[in-house]
Amino acid sequence: MIRRLSAALFLAPATASAHYIPSTDVPTTVDVGMVTTWRSSSLINDYQYWQVPGTLMGGHAWPAEKGVEVDEMTLSLAHRLDQNLYGVVEVGSHAGDSDDHGGVELEHAYVGWVCCSDYGPWVAEVGRMSALFSPALAEHATQRLASEAPLTLDVLFGRHFHDDGARLWWHETGGISAGAEIWRGKAYPATDTSDGGAWDVFARYNWRGERLSWETGAWFYSAAAEARADHRYGGGHQHVPVAPPGETATAFSDIRFTGDSDIYGVHARVNYRLSQDITLALDGEWIHANLDGVLHDSIGRQADLDGDQSGGWIQPSLRWRRHTFGVRAEYLTTDNTVVGPAAPQLAEESGLANPDDHDPRRFTVIWHWQWRDNIALRAEAIRDESLTETDNRWTLGVIWRQRLWPGKTKSSHHHR
Amino acid sequence: MNRLFLALVLPASLLLSGCPDSSTGIDDQGASVSDFDWHMPDWVPLPVEPDYNPITEAKFQLGRYLFYDTDLSSDGSMSCESCHQQDKAFTDGVARPTGVTGMIHPRNSQSIANAAWVRTLTWGNPTLTDIEQQIVIPLFGIDPVEMGVNEANQDLVLSRLQRKTEYQTLFAEAFPDQSDPMYDEQAWQNIIHALASFVRGMTSFGSNYDLYTAGQSDALSTSAKRGMNLFNSEKLECFHCHEGYTLTASVRDRRRTPNIPAPFFNTGLYNIDGISAYPEPNTGKHELTGKTSDMGLFRPQSLRNIALTAPYNHDGSTATLREVILNYAAGGRNITSGPNTGDGRMNINKDPFIVSFTITEQEIEDVVAFLESLTDYEFINNPRYANPWQPPKDQDLTP
Repeated sequence: MIRRLSAALFLAPATASAHYIPSTDVPTTVDVGMVTTWRSSSLINDYQYWQVPGTLMGGHAWPAEKGVEVDEMTLSLAHRLDQNLYGVVEVGSHAGDSDDHGGVELEHAYVGWVCCSDYGPWVAEVGRMSALFSPALAEHATQRLASEAPLTLDVLFGRHFHDDGARLWWHETGGISAGAEIWRGKAYPATDTSDGGAWDVFARYNWRGERLSWETGAWFYSAAAEARADHRYGGGHQHVPVAPPGETATAFSDIRFTGDSDIYGVHARVNYRLSQDITLALDGEWIHANLDGVLHDSIGRQADLDGDQSGGWIQPSLRWRRHTFGVRAEYLTTDNTVVGPAAPQLAEESGLANPDDHDPRRFTVIWHWQWRDNIALRAEAIRDESLTETDNRWTLGVIWRQRLWPGKTKSSHHHR
Repeated sequence: MNRLFLALVLPASLLLSGCPDSSTGIDDQGASVSDFDWHMPDWVPLPVEPDYNPITEAKFQLGRYLFYDTDLSSDGSMSCESCHQQDKAFTDGVARPTGVTGMIHPRNSQSIANAAWVRTLTWGNPTLTDIEQQIVIPLFGIDPVEMGVNEANQDLVLSRLQRKTEYQTLFAEAFPDQSDPMYDEQAWQNIIHALASFVRGMTSFGSNYDLYTAGQSDALSTSAKRGMNLFNSEKLECFHCHEGYTLTASVRDRRRTPNIPAPFFNTGLYNIDGISAYPEPNTGKHELTGKTSDMGLFRPQSLRNIALTAPYNHDGSTATLREVILNYAAGGRNITSGPNTGDGRMNINKDPFIVSFTITEQEIEDVVAFLESLTDYEFINNPRYANPWQPPKDQDLTP
């Protein structure tokens, strides 16, 4: 029993399963995921905007908020159509600044084709999907050890990456996966305008032994953007928010970016099973981005931007039976040059200005307890230095992750 | 609690201590540097100056003397001040001004405060973007005649200036690279450049509203604050055309590279043909372009000092700020009698933001109070912009 449990826990929660191919044996599966977390404090105050100094942000990178919040909910349906074809649909909602932003959206709707056996090695997929180039980017909060998405992914990819596109890849054959993806550009940091869009290539290798298993990979992603807005707060008709008496609210500066983002990264993960009860793991990713383009706004101000930004995290963890203890240390460095008559103003209003030469950091200490097979509890202590003012917060959360149909049958092929 | 956090994360913190440091280099390419003292707050971006006429204090001072000199008109009866008086924020208080020959100008005199920042300089001409270009029109224009200088009398006018001893020094200081700036063939160009420098150097950013936005919360009355909120509301929509530090959408400065045409709007004041027509010759941008879609389009005015610049609109046909607000509240002006009869509310060129709204008398008073808070008393009392041919006034116009 304990051996079986250990084997199951070896996969969850630290192993992600953001992408899967339904099997021919159990052609239809329905999965649900939900994370609700209480946080002791908010990263920013009401009527403020979360803008990490030295960066442009966007997408769905909402700040942590005090109190109880449903971080995420996902409901997935996958169906194997025949030996070669399958389809996946997933809807999800994520915590946001308001109900409008936290509404349910279609995250996955794609059709896949495998050739030439049930699982490959060639897989082609088309539709709305999560990207596969960075395993962490496709992870949900139910799948991560920490409740909050990595800071670097928040900054460079706007947290969630769901886009319309196509993917062709060589799928886990001899431990090797490699492929290419092309995107319409709906996902930050691209835009889906005529000259927008994105593409990426990736490769990774995994190996599993009796006690040791590891995976490593590298990727390159290139995005083009035209008048890209920070859609968290801007991108449309702007007005000064209405604040209660005594509060001060300012309108969000709707600064746009037109240009290219070339981003590459390497990731690695090592698991070592010390005993039936104890497993050690080390997870990490390093990402570098080059931003080359123009900052501009609706009143004709503009300035050239040349930015180099690097970030990543390292996450050692120890699993003992149903308990996992981990630490995630994250960093981000930014080296930007903004040139043009309006450079001081655009840099400040876009968030690229970094007058204190602040180095964003975040440290998370995690305890994850797989209380029941499908329910886990999570507690964290977070020291958040993403802003110049440090925020220390605690979290307590519950994670529900379950295959609703067909019960406990193990039917799909999971991988990172 | 901080200690506990530190203890938990210290090892990881040490691990990351070797990461490179962050920085953002910013280069505004000299956009915030000027040798001229603009006498304005540093949050205001510097205006654009033409390369052929960089502003200097000497040119500004020469321009000031010329601005107030009636000898610059054909018959010695008018100066620039005749239509641009300091106590009225450099307007004249009449619906339409009269030139030296008695011709009445078809349009209302505009305030020239902060003229350096507007994208186009007159009510309806989208091509007039340099003050140097514009100054030629009141000096030499014939339709209408304003100051009446022409080829026949320009030497006479110039000789009157040359006889004044003040100008000997002023011209020499303003144009030190020229051997004889008052007498040679560049004399009229120098006059225009100096006048343009004076106009360009008139800056007005010292209203109570500016104090309020700088953090002095008691600089605005309660009524003015309510009016400001109405002004910036979706209900009134005023801020769309009267925005930013100049309170007009027609703005340019060193930081901006406008990528859209300069703004001109039809506010539904007239509709004499039941379609879009405005009374001739005041057809706005249409007067230059001839396009029917440009009929009745006029430049949005800066609202700075607006309480001092009545009457309003391009032809001075609206007497008070209250009437202006009521016209907007009605979604345009419906004229039911006289030669301009027509329902401006139905003008097909009317801007989409000119929609009717309900407004109470108290709200009108509040909006007027806000507009009055845009008056810069320091500007209208500033000796720097005053008539140098007269002794300094003791009168302070601040209420």
